Amino acid sequence: MSRHQITLEVNGEEQVKEVDSRTTLADFLREELDLTATHLGCEHGVCGACTVLINGESARTCTVLAVQADGATITTLEGLVAADEDLHPVQQAFWDKHGLQCGFCTPGLVLSVAELLERDPDPSEDEVLEVIGGHICRCTGYTKIREAVAEASRLIRESPRTVGEGR
Amino acid sequence: MSSPDHRAAGDPQRPFGAPLKRKEDPRLLRGGGSYIADMKMHGMLAAAVVRSPHAHARIISIDTSEAERDPRTRAVLTAGDLPEIEPLVCIDAEETTKPFNQPVIAGDKVRYVGEPVAVVVASDRAVAEDIAELVLVEYEPLDAVVDPERALDDGAPIIHSETNLVDTLEYEIGDSEGAFDGAPHVISERFQTQRYAGTPIETRGMIAEWDERTQSMTLWSSTQVPNTVKGFLAERLGLPGTAIRVRVPDVGGAFGVKIQIYPEEVLISFLAMRLRRPVKWIEDRWEHFVATTHGREQIHDLEIAFDDDGQILGVRDDCITNTGAYLQSLTLVEPFIGVAMLTGPYAVPALRATSRVAITNKTPMNPFRGVGHVQAAFTMERAIDMIARKLDLDPAQVRLLNMIPTESLPLARGIGNVLAGEIVYDSGDYRRCLSRALEISRYEEFAANRERAREEGRLIGIGIGAFVEETGLGPYESGTVRVEPSGRIVVLSGASPSGQGHLTTLAQVAADELGVSIEQVDVVVGDTDLIRWGVGTYASRTAAVGGVAVRNAASAAREKLLRVAADMLEADASDLELAEGAVRVVGSPGSSAPLAEIASRVMPGEELPVGIDEYGIEATDVYHPSSNTFSYGVHISKVEVDRDTGMVKLLEHHVVNDSGTVVNPLILDGQVQGGVALGVGGALLEEVRYSEDGQPENPNFMDYLLPTVETVPIIEVEHMVVPTPINDDGVKGGGEGGAVGAPAAIANAVADAIHPARVNATPLTPVRVFAAMAEAGLVSPLGSGR
Amino acid sequence: MKPPPFDYEAPETLDAAIALLGGDEDAKALAGGQSLVPLLSLRLTYPSLLVDLRRIPGLDGIEQTDGSLVIGAMTRQRAAELDDRVRESCPLLGKALTHVAHPQIRSRGTVGGSIAHADPASELPATMLALGGKARIAGPGGNREVDAEALFTGLLTTALEPGELITAIELPTPPANAGSACVEVTRRRGDYAQAGCVALVELEDGSVADSAVAFFGIADRPVRAPEVERAIAGLGPAEAAHEAADAATRTIEPGSDPELSDDYRLHLVGVVVRRAVEQAAKEAK
Repeated sequence: MSRHQITLEVNGEEQVKEVDSRTTLADFLREELDLTATHLGCEHGVCGACTVLINGESARTCTVLAVQADGATITTLEGLVAADEDLHPVQQAFWDKHGLQCGFCTPGLVLSVAELLERDPDPSEDEVLEVIGGHICRCTGYTKIREAVAEASRLIRESPRTVGEGR
Repeated sequence: MSSPDHRAAGDPQRPFGAPLKRKEDPRLLRGGGSYIADMKMHGMLAAAVVRSPHAHARIISIDTSEAERDPRTRAVLTAGDLPEIEPLVCIDAEETTKPFNQPVIAGDKVRYVGEPVAVVVASDRAVAEDIAELVLVEYEPLDAVVDPERALDDGAPIIHSETNLVDTLEYEIGDSEGAFDGAPHVISERFQTQRYAGTPIETRGMIAEWDERTQSMTLWSSTQVPNTVKGFLAERLGLPGTAIRVRVPDVGGAFGVKIQIYPEEVLISFLAMRLRRPVKWIEDRWEHFVATTHGREQIHDLEIAFDDDGQILGVRDDCITNTGAYLQSLTLVEPFIGVAMLTGPYAVPALRATSRVAITNKTPMNPFRGVGHVQAAFTMERAIDMIARKLDLDPAQVRLLNMIPTESLPLARGIGNVLAGEIVYDSGDYRRCLSRALEISRYEEFAANRERAREEGRLIGIGIGAFVEETGLGPYESGTVRVEPSGRIVVLSGASPSGQGHLTTLAQVAADELGVSIEQVDVVVGDTDLIRWGVGTYASRTAAVGGVAVRNAASAAREKLLRVAADMLEADASDLELAEGAVRVVGSPGSSAPLAEIASRVMPGEELPVGIDEYGIEATDVYHPSSNTFSYGVHISKVEVDRDTGMVKLLEHHVVNDSGTVVNPLILDGQVQGGVALGVGGALLEEVRYSEDGQPENPNFMDYLLPTVETVPIIEVEHMVVPTPINDDGVKGGGEGGAVGAPAAIANAVADAIHPARVNATPLTPVRVFAAMAEAGLVSPLGSGR
Repeated sequence: MKPPPFDYEAPETLDAAIALLGGDEDAKALAGGQSLVPLLSLRLTYPSLLVDLRRIPGLDGIEQTDGSLVIGAMTRQRAAELDDRVRESCPLLGKALTHVAHPQIRSRGTVGGSIAHADPASELPATMLALGGKARIAGPGGNREVDAEALFTGLLTTALEPGELITAIELPTPPANAGSACVEVTRRRGDYAQAGCVALVELEDGSVADSAVAFFGIADRPVRAPEVERAIAGLGPAEAAHEAADAATRTIEPGSDPELSDDYRLHLVGVVVRRAVEQAAKEAK
C-alpha cells in the first residue's frame, strides 16, 4: 500500500498531509483533521451522511479517496459558518422547523441544501426533492426537512449571503 | 405534584406544552455532535469482528496463527480464549420458554450469518479488517431453515436442541367457541408482516476503556439502556457494579435496536481489560444488517366472526413469530403484543389467540419501534375492511360501530404478561379520533373521486389505520432535579436518548415546575456514575415515565425552595410563588428572592434555616407507573397505484394522534411523522430478504430500501388530547404510534385502489401489487401471450 | 467496511497511465470512483494498483463538432448534465444523466467511468447505444474507436483490452426535430432501474420515420432493439407506442432477477418502451 502527500484546502485552511492510498476522504477528514461532523452512515455511497462540498459541489466523501481530493477545496459542516458567527440560514431554518432529530444525517443534508440554495435561492419543488433525495433520514419523515428548506429559501431570499462568506 | 398554576399545557406563557425549539440543535447543526465513532482516546485500538458466513454450521476449527503472526495484530479472540461467560439474557422469558440463549461468541456451532466467531484488534479499523481476513475458520455446513412454519415441521433441521419451538403463548377471552358457532359471517385470511431492519443512520458502536489505576471499566456505548448494560456487564465480566461506568454520547437514532445488550459489549470490554488499552468497535452497515436485531416477521392466520351489521362477534388468531436464531433480551414482546393488542380500539367479546415463537437460522429479532402493534394493526385493520367489503358497508362505519365507547374506559382487556402487566386501556375517545380523521382527510369526498379516477383508468384508494398502543412502560425511571447556587437547574434522567430531544422536553417539565425558562435548565443523561437508577428510552416512555420522575423531583425541589425562601423573605410558604427565576411573595412583587440566592443560602458552610436539615436543593424521584398508558390514533392514507407497474404512490397521509397531554407539540409532530415514514418503509419498501439457505440477500443500502423524501408524502398530524389518569400531567407515549398506524392505513388504501385484488402482506412492492392486480383480472401483463 | 490495501498512482500523461495499467493485470483505472470506491469498501474487489486519471490533460471537457458531441471521459456527469451544448444538441443525454443516482454522486461520477464500468442497469451505456455512439480508446497498441454495439460485451465487461482506456465518448447528435425520452422503472428516484428504455423518434407527416430504441436494466448489458425500431416505422405516435410494447415483449429476452418474476420483468420491458416511444414521439417535431 502506498502513501501519498496531499495538499488541499479545508474550511479555508491549507492542509498538507500524508495519507494511505486506501483512506477515504471521509476517514481522512474525520481521523486526520478531526472534522467529525462528516458522518459515516453506510460507507457505500447511499445514505448521504458524509456529504461535503468539494470545490463548491455537494459530494459523498465515502466514495472519494483522500488522494483524489489532492488540490481540492472542501467545506465541511464545521466550516459552513465560523463558530462565532450566526447560524447559516439553512442551519437556522433546520432549527426553527425541527428539521432534525438525532442529527446524524443532518450535516450532509445541510450542506446539500446550502449548495442548492446558493445556486438557486428559490428552487422548484422537484429540485428540492432531487437534492434531499440524495440523503436518507430515518428520524424525521422528511416533512419538517421540507419545511426547513422552504424556510431557508425564504431567509436567503430576504437576506442573501454565500456559503462560507464569513470565514 | 400538581402543575404549578392554573395555566393549561399549550399556554404560550408556559414552557410545558409549548412548541419550543430544541436545546440540542444549535450544537448539532454546527457540527458539534459527538457520536461514538467521533470519539478518540489516547492509545485507542480498533476491533473488527469475524462473523459466520454460514446460516447453520458446525465449527470444526479456528486457525488464528496467520492472523497472530501479522505484526500489526494486537489481539485475536475466539471462544477458546474466554472464560466461561453466561450467555445473553432474555428478561421476559416465561417458565415454559426454551433457553435458546445466545453465547457471547460462537463456540462449536453458528446459527445465523453474522454470528460472532472471533474478534481481532489492531491500530485502526482498516488494518483490523485486513487481519480479520486472516482468521481461518473451518465449518461443516448444516441444513438451514429460514421459514418459521418449516422450522416447526417434523424433520426440520434442529437449530438448538429437540425443537425449534421456543414457546407457545395462549390467550382466551370470552367464549370464542360460542362466538363462532352460528355466526352469520366468518372471514379467514392469512396476514403476513415481513422482517424489517432498524437501520438508524448511525450504526451501533462502543469504546471500552479499562482504567488500571482504579481497576474499573468505562464503556462508551450507543445503547438505549446504559444502566441495564452496566448491570449485565458486571455479571459477565465478574466485576463489582461499582467498577463499571456506562456512558452514552450522542446517539444517531436507535428505534429499539439499540436496546438489546449485544455480544460485542462483552467482547470489546473483555479485550480492553486484557489489552489495558481502549478498544473501539464501530459496526459497519453490512454488520448492521446481519448483527443487529431485526423485527416484525410474523404471520397471523386470522378468523373473524361478525353479524349482518358488521358487529364483530369473535376473533381467533393463530400467530407465528420468526424470532431468528436465538432468544434476545425481549424476545417474547413481539409474539405477545402481536396478539394481545390485536383487537386494538374495538370491543371484541371473544378472542382466542395462540402465538408460537419459532427459531430459525436468521438474525435474532427483538423489539423495534412499534413492536407487535404494527402486525396487530395491519391484521385487524385489513380484516375490518374485508368485513366492510363483504357486507358492502363503509369501512369507517364498521369501525365506528365496533369501537370501544369512551364510557367503557378504563377497560381491563383480560390479557397481560410479566413485563407489560395487565392491559387496561386508560383513557381515550376512539370514535372522536376516527371522526376527526375522516373530517380532516375529507374522507366523504373520496368515493366520488375514486370512481371518476377509475373511469379515467387511474387507480386511487383511501385507507384507514386505527390502533391502540401500549406506551409508557415501566418498570421505572429516575429523575433528579438540583438547583445550583448559580441558579441553574440541573436535571438528571435515566432516560438516555437517541435523538428524540429529551434535553428539551425534560427541561420543559422542570422549567414548568420551577418557573424558569428552559435555557436555565441543563439536562444530563447517559452516565451511570451520575445516574444511579435508570432504565432507558424505549416503549414510548420518556414523557410518560421519565417526565413524571422529573416532575416529581422538581416538585420536591420546588417545595424546598419555597421553604427556604419563606425563611429568607419572612413570609409564609403558602404566600409564595415561583416565576421568572425567583420566588416572589404573591401580590408583593418587590419582595422576591432569585433561585441563585435561595440555593446559595443552603450551601454547605452556611448555617441552615430553622426547619431545614439538609444542604443543597436537590431531589430524586424514581417513578414506577402504576400501569401503562394506552395511546391511540387513526391514520388515513390516500394512494395511487400505477396500473402499469404496480408502483404505489402515497398522495396524502393524515394522522390524528392522542398521546395525552403534549409536552412539546413540535417534537411530538416529529415523532409521529418519523414513525409514519418508518411505516411507509414497511408498507412499501423494506424487507430483510434471505435465500432458502439463510444467506441475507440485501444487507446494504442499495438493496434494502429505506424511504427517501419522494416516497413519503407531507405528513399531516393533529393531536387530540385525552389526558391519562395514570400520571398527574396526563401524558401518554408518542414515540411509536406513527409507525403502527401507517402500514395498516396504506395497505387498506392500496386494497381500496386495486379492489378486488388481494392485499394481505407487506411490503406492497410493485411486483407483489402487480401480481395481485393481474390475478384479480384488473390488468393483463404485456407479453403474457408469449 | 474499509478498502483493502492497494497502491495508487496519478500519472500525468496518458502514456504513463497506459503503461501502468498494461504492466499489471490487477491494476484498475480510477475515474470518479463512484462505483469503484464502494466496491473497494465492501471488499468486493482487490486491485493491486489504482491508476487515477485525474491529472491527465485533455480527458475532461465537452467538444461540439459537426454532427457529434465529444465528451471527455473524465467529464463529470453533473457538468455534462448542466452543459448547454448537451441540452441543445443532445437532450437525450441530458435526460439520461438526470436519472443517474443523485446530484451528489453525479458531481463526482464521470461519463467515461460510467461507460467503462458497463453496469447493465446504468443509463449511459444504453444512451450511447441508442445514439450510435462510439468510444475513443487509447492503449498499448495505439488509439482505436469501438462502436457502442461492440463495446458492451457482458456484465460489467467491455471490449477494452488490458491497458486500454476510454478517453472520450463520441455521440452523433440526433436531428434537431427528433424527440427523445429516457424512461425507467425504479423503486425510488435515483435507484438502479428494474427496467429502462431510451428512445429517439423522428416523425415525418405524423408517422415514425426513424427511431432508435435501447433498453437497460433488463439483461447483462444494454440491449438495442432493432425489431422494435422496425416494427414502429411508419406508424403514428399512439400506434407506435403500442406496437413498440408488443414487439419488445415478443422479441426481448430479459434476464432473470431474484426480486422480480420473469413475467413481470417482461411486462416492464413493454411498459418502459411504450412510455419512452410515446414521450419521444410527443417531443418530435
